[in-house]
Amino acid sequence: MKHIGLASAALLALALATPASAQLKFAPGEDDRFNWEDYEYLKQMDLNGQSLSVFGPWRGEDEALARSVLAYFSEATGVDLTYSSSENYEQQIVIDTQAGSPPNIAVLPQPGLIQDLASKGLLTPLGEDAATYVRENYGAGQSWVDLGTYAGQDGQEQFYGFPYKADLKSLVWYVPENFEEAGYEVPTTWEELMALQEQIVADGGTPWCIGLGSGGATGWPATDWVEDIMLRTQPPEVYDQWTSNEIPFTDERVVGAMKIFADIATKDQNVSGGKAAVAATDFRDSPKGLFDIPPKCYMHRQASFISSFFPEGTELGTDADFFYLPEKADADLGKPVLGGGTLFTITKDSEAARAFITFLQTPLAHELWMAQSGFLTPLKTANPEAYANEALKKQGEILVNADTFRFDGSDLMPGKIGAGAFWTGMIDLVGGKPAEQVASEIQNAWDAIK
Amino acid sequence: MATQIISAIIVIIVGVGGCVAYFWGANRLLELVFPARGTSGKTAIDNLRRQGFIRPWLFVGPALLILGVYLIYPVVETLRLSFLDRGGQNFVGFDNYLWAIGDREFRISILNNLLWLAVVPAVCTFLGLVIAVLTDRIWWGTIAKSLVFMPLAISFVGASVIWKFIYEYRAADQTQIGLLNAFVTWLGFEPQVWISIPFWNNLFLMVILVWIQTGFAMVILSAALRGIPDETIEAAVIDGANGFQIFWKIMIPQIWGTIAVVWTTITILVLKVFDIVLTMTNGQWNTQVLANLMFDWMFRGGGDFGRGATIAIVIMMAVIPIMIWNIRQANREADGG
Amino acid sequence: MAAKAGRSFFGRWGVHLAVLAIVIVWTLPTMGILVSSLRDRDQIIVSGWWTALAGSEQTEAGRLAGPDAQIERDGRFVIEGLLFEEGDPRRISAFGTRATAPTATEAGVEADLGDGVTLTVEADSRYVMTSPVAFEGRGQRVYFSALSPPRFTTENYETVLLSEGIGRSFVNSLTVTIPATIIPILIAAFAAYALAWMRFPGRAILIAVIIGLLVVPLQMSLIPLLKLYNGVGAFFGVPAKTYLGIWLAHTGFGLPFAIFLLRSYIAGLPREIMESARIDGASDFDIFVRIVLPLSFPVLASFAIFQFLWVWNDLLVAMVFLGTGRDQLVLTGKLNALLGSRGGDWEILTTSAFVTIIVPLIVFFSLQRYFVRGLLAGSVKGG
Repeated sequence: MKHIGLASAALLALALATPASAQLKFAPGEDDRFNWEDYEYLKQMDLNGQSLSVFGPWRGEDEALARSVLAYFSEATGVDLTYSSSENYEQQIVIDTQAGSPPNIAVLPQPGLIQDLASKGLLTPLGEDAATYVRENYGAGQSWVDLGTYAGQDGQEQFYGFPYKADLKSLVWYVPENFEEAGYEVPTTWEELMALQEQIVADGGTPWCIGLGSGGATGWPATDWVEDIMLRTQPPEVYDQWTSNEIPFTDERVVGAMKIFADIATKDQNVSGGKAAVAATDFRDSPKGLFDIPPKCYMHRQASFISSFFPEGTELGTDADFFYLPEKADADLGKPVLGGGTLFTITKDSEAARAFITFLQTPLAHELWMAQSGFLTPLKTANPEAYANEALKKQGEILVNADTFRFDGSDLMPGKIGAGAFWTGMIDLVGGKPAEQVASEIQNAWDAIK
Repeated sequence: MATQIISAIIVIIVGVGGCVAYFWGANRLLELVFPARGTSGKTAIDNLRRQGFIRPWLFVGPALLILGVYLIYPVVETLRLSFLDRGGQNFVGFDNYLWAIGDREFRISILNNLLWLAVVPAVCTFLGLVIAVLTDRIWWGTIAKSLVFMPLAISFVGASVIWKFIYEYRAADQTQIGLLNAFVTWLGFEPQVWISIPFWNNLFLMVILVWIQTGFAMVILSAALRGIPDETIEAAVIDGANGFQIFWKIMIPQIWGTIAVVWTTITILVLKVFDIVLTMTNGQWNTQVLANLMFDWMFRGGGDFGRGATIAIVIMMAVIPIMIWNIRQANREADGG
Repeated sequence: MAAKAGRSFFGRWGVHLAVLAIVIVWTLPTMGILVSSLRDRDQIIVSGWWTALAGSEQTEAGRLAGPDAQIERDGRFVIEGLLFEEGDPRRISAFGTRATAPTATEAGVEADLGDGVTLTVEADSRYVMTSPVAFEGRGQRVYFSALSPPRFTTENYETVLLSEGIGRSFVNSLTVTIPATIIPILIAAFAAYALAWMRFPGRAILIAVIIGLLVVPLQMSLIPLLKLYNGVGAFFGVPAKTYLGIWLAHTGFGLPFAIFLLRSYIAGLPREIMESARIDGASDFDIFVRIVLPLSFPVLASFAIFQFLWVWNDLLVAMVFLGTGRDQLVLTGKLNALLGSRGGDWEILTTSAFVTIIVPLIVFFSLQRYFVRGLLAGSVKGG
């Protein structure tokens, strides 16, 4: 057996590949949309000979985008940076941190998971400076700081997660030409939206495409609906109490939001394919009904990322557009924004990891991804002109100008609820179960894990 | 890359060679220390006995070592965790077990698991046997076998994509892209949301595992069938037995041991199955099974190791009847011969 | 001779038909993804894969050229052009300008759009739009029904097969798989023989334990093992994630099944053969190597196939026990990285399913011949 060990070591030594020299997408100093002085600043950090491992949720095209940004950091500082991801990244980060072989930086989209890792003492606090930076430079900054702040193993609240890369949930997608043809206006209040829904039905059309299917995660798109409705009918404080279960699921305000959603989704005439299709349709396939001819539906409420599932060649702004899911006219809640995003945490402290968090605090880090696709940032100091197109810029503006920003509630709840009972409950709800009963089942599940 | 290929080959040769060298070398050493040849009388008999005492352990030694590290140690660790809280820090006694008994999802999982256990091993073994027997008789049997075997070579993620295209639902007025619904609508019925029909959806998930595992049963049983001496069957033919009689009276008893192995293996696989449930429904619509429930508690949102471990222990305990049966079988073999 | 008996009962054609039916049922789902992997992303979810070969009538939308392209002719403003690119095989049968009535006008017939505006679209997508006043705004959207011939693409395979580093991952996968298949066979075969034919105290308990271990859920053991690896790695100052580590891990996870399967087969071998060999003075080692191993070839081959498949298709164990650098990323990990973060890339999933299946099938075919009838012919079958 010893031979194998030796030979294996030899194999490893032989096989150690030199990393391909990174190709930078935008040549430093050339495009004045970018804050290139940040790049010069990065160059002063010398991390030659150090290595940095980053573990994130991005795969496929997203991974290529992430790598294109990371390349600037490694190129400027000389650090040997490796990025990896996994289909089971959630599972893998638990295994790796528990077993004591974590990456330096873990990028996670679920605050619930970060909270758990923080409480087990597996994360390194990022320090007050980073928190102050976010508070001062992000749109709805305090919301973002709160999002990244968790109790550590000693119970002390500290800033652990640096928000970078956001997406916007409160969007309704539509095909402008279909609206024009039918003579529909973009609604600016919730009441108008409901009136439009009735109008479309009266005209013989179908207002919504809703698909909750997502394999093992089936049900989550409906949780976004309920969260969006919560923010539009209740103050953000109630939303926070709800996601932390200070008020139970069975609270009438929560049940009310669920009923509003059920009113939309469980009427055959409201949804493409009828209510039976809602839970059975894959969320990735559901927006395609907008583009069918004649249209299978006129509106689709989904986060900003969904545009990558539109048919090939769809031009945003022309063939498809979006409007902000409007708030109630009389509720006086300002412009609440529901969103998601990824938080960068240090799972193994090192000089390079610290430097990387500093890198994320430069506008350049944001602009590099803004100029490509699938990236929004609430960072006010980033140049909005860097966005690759008008649609992204418009979404970015919603984010920067938000009065309140709230993170996807199901991601804030414990995994067993936010990625379990809540999903199941939503499937039951669209299946016709009364909202009260669904709410009490979810609350029971929550009580069981307390 | 060429260097890696070469070193890989070297490593493979050294690794495998190491194993061979161990078994051969250990055996040689044993014979040198306790020589049976060249000595005479009592010494030779004594040495032979000593050899017979030590040799089994030389044979099973490496297996035991690896099993100990890779399976027994984790099992002990799991057992320990099942008495601890979610972070694995504080002792909570039997709380996790009591919780499991009272949990609705857990009870659903147990019932579903029983259903899986009753259906899947039986169907797989039966179909595997039938296919093995039938394909033995035709010239293109190998091709047929390969095709039945193919699903086994597809990863679970791939398999779930395949079956998504079978069960896919579209409303009645749209083009069906799911094979099953296309067929059903062609017959003139309404399309169905297959994976959400209570109770039956469990069977639709089981079909996937049957589709994958029948190839397994077929290959093993086919190997066993080939082990039946031609003379036995010839004798039966001469005695005037027909195909069915040969199948039931001659073939089945001959390969009974192998059938038991196949059945047991698939039963255990069923207890562990979670990929299919995870990717198709994640336990929604009352299709939860124990292994997926465990996975859920272990890793979702940071996880609850205590409860996850508890469910794992329950799964392990479910095998006890099979273990007892197999031990009896093993003892009978030992006594019988 | 079994063949003869079968024919007499089932009839020659009955067997063929039965097997054919089974094979069709078993292959249809796989056919589905094979066909899907050759279609393009948008088509996969629009029409059933079994209709891929038939030309399909589809309602589509297009946009005419904008006002920039207009010319003035005979006092009318005219926009002309083609909806499809030159050489497109599609043929338009009808068109319309309202999404609610996309096929209002037959191809080649002039449609009146109101206010004196007319539009004609020919079957080959040539269009003429005229108006008494100048066009403004963006190009007119038209809807049309077109008969398109079946469309196949090898793009998906190009994406997967030409992705950077896939060759390396292929070699990595083989580096993991081959030893992880052979080592457990060797170890298990010796153990199985001992458990089947050697008498020693604790044998029955060992068998029980091994059967019990069959059921250990893999996920349970990952954290304790990785902790152990990290500890060992730190102690000896070597990396925790090595090929040796993953071979042993796969060996460990595969051993219970290997021992279980091999033991029950070896226990069924004819006792007479071993007794006679023993009388001839052969030791257990000789009996095992000279008699048991050759006789067990079919079952060894079966196990080899399953272990190979399991290791080849594994992603979880590889991600935990191996690094994700270029020199250690296995094929499943590589393909996994090609999938988008949000899943739903059916075309990549189906294609990679076919790419990964190739090697296991080769293994199956090459081991198939070891199942040859008559390996045991002539021997007397024992209990």
